[in-house]
Amino acid sequence: MVVYSFYIFDRHAECIYKKKWAPRPTSTGSKTQQANGLADGAPQPKALSAEDDAKLVFGTIFSLRNMVRKLGGEDDRFISYRTGQYKLHYYETPTSLKFVMVTDTKTNNLRIVLHQIYVSLYVEFVVKNPLSPIEHPGGIGVNCEMFELGVEQFVNASLMS
Amino acid sequence: MTSAQGLKSLPQANMAASSHQPSAVQRAPQQLRTPSNRKTIYDRNLNRTRTAELSRASFAYLFGEMVSYAQKRVTGIQDLERKYHIPDAHNEWSRVWAYCIANHFLRLNEQGYPLGLRLLPLLLYREPPRTSVRPNRILPLLQFIHGPFWRHLFGRTADAIEHSSTANNEYMISDNEPLVNQYISVPKEMNQLNCAAYVAGMIEGVCDGCGLKAAVSAHNGGTEMWPGKTVFLIRFDEGVIEREGLLDAKK
Amino acid sequence: MASNKAARDGEKIWKTNVDKVNAELVTLTYGTMVAQLCSDFNHKYGEVNQQLDKMGYNIGMRLIEDFFAKSGVQRCGNLRETAETISKIGFKMFLNITPTVSNWSADNKSFSLIFDENPLADCVELPNDGRAQDELWFSNIFCGILRGALEMVQMQVEAHYVADVLRGDETTEMRITLLRYMEDEMPPDDE
Repeated sequence: MVVYSFYIFDRHAECIYKKKWAPRPTSTGSKTQQANGLADGAPQPKALSAEDDAKLVFGTIFSLRNMVRKLGGEDDRFISYRTGQYKLHYYETPTSLKFVMVTDTKTNNLRIVLHQIYVSLYVEFVVKNPLSPIEHPGGIGVNCEMFELGVEQFVNASLMS
Repeated sequence: MTSAQGLKSLPQANMAASSHQPSAVQRAPQQLRTPSNRKTIYDRNLNRTRTAELSRASFAYLFGEMVSYAQKRVTGIQDLERKYHIPDAHNEWSRVWAYCIANHFLRLNEQGYPLGLRLLPLLLYREPPRTSVRPNRILPLLQFIHGPFWRHLFGRTADAIEHSSTANNEYMISDNEPLVNQYISVPKEMNQLNCAAYVAGMIEGVCDGCGLKAAVSAHNGGTEMWPGKTVFLIRFDEGVIEREGLLDAKK
Repeated sequence: MASNKAARDGEKIWKTNVDKVNAELVTLTYGTMVAQLCSDFNHKYGEVNQQLDKMGYNIGMRLIEDFFAKSGVQRCGNLRETAETISKIGFKMFLNITPTVSNWSADNKSFSLIFDENPLADCVELPNDGRAQDELWFSNIFCGILRGALEMVQMQVEAHYVADVLRGDETTEMRITLLRYMEDEMPPDDE
């Protein structure tokens, strides 16, 4: 199982944290797109800047979430979606924080993992840290050492195994 | 060494809010209004909240706001210079930075001070009669801080007491994992910052309350095993050491 | 009954899921904070109330995340449910008290929280300067906390104290009014 990237969006629709592990494969690079996703040599066609990437991800989950609510009622929510190339896992807190993880298609549902990142990393190290601001325009304060380390360990331990 | 004098006369000595002291309640000529069911501090048992608990998070949030508030307010620069001997004053930027940090310390230290002063009589009052004596020598005082005082506030004793090998008036109490720092992740460039300055202030209050004046500061003493270890450096006034010497000589 | 269930949940969360600390550390910390503010603002109690509210607002915005993370509670459907959750789970979880919800307005948009106990004010007597009892709301931080916390779940509220035993009133009562539900924020359109 491979984790490609991880994002957190706040209630102002801003991406306050992003981290990339392996580049996400794209269909045009399919010949080199082995499961490890680390195949450098293959130039990534129309590589998006990190910001554009985050914006696209947000746009997608925002529309999807609203559509799901329209179809399935106010309390319905989407959990993940899968394409031919990747799977996107989604968890939204009652405070409208959105946790997103993009992995390879074989990965099981990660909603619980995202919830755990919220509960035991985000709340403990970002929210409770008085030296980190309350809101995080531009991501300030989320990228503190303890949170970074935690995410890294979390992904290594519980996902890469 | 005794440069924290400026702190002592500080705030709210005249404020009754949160007064915990069992004695010395001043009633001004005009009486305060009280509800008819007499829900006032005089009608409550002083031991009522002795073992009461609240969530650690609620402390963390209050403390956090206190830290940010302390960060925002500025006090006189001379105080800081006296207390922290800020070294490379020729470098403008590092001086500004150092001031910010020192200022931060100072305010937290200041806020802890009245707590120590108030807890001292309360804790003594609760000790069994035989040990309910105010410590008046250095060692019993340090043991009181390391033991009952720490246990009451943090649920366990502190981790060590040491006497400095270089300065006769310096003692150190250390805590391997200070509760007040549990949620605080200090950025690298501010590595001098230690919010346990608040606890240092409390210790200072206890020392003062016992008549053994001291300046107390909190320092990072992280080790491989205890990255958050904090050392509280207690520097007693020369007068205190002198008296200690005289008392020892008398024996 | 939703209220009973909330009370049971609150009790359970308090017992099993909350790290505790000595109450006097919190009480004295808050007392020192208010005393410090009074001295910083030269005993202009109106400004102290405002500052407390502001600090509470900051706390509320953080605390709500902790609340959801620890309690596993979902968003509430209406204000009545919200009120019960605040009292039975919120206050229980952080302060081990459950203020009473009462005095609903006819339009169901405002209610009161009545505090029989208040750990923050446990060992407090207001200064006897002839003004504090008329001007200072010692626990005003709670108003800010509720305002900040509810804003994070898209509810804009107004909260203020109407009575406090520290002022000689018979009860301690806070009034909370829902002003409006806030919309989801959209990403800025930059195409």
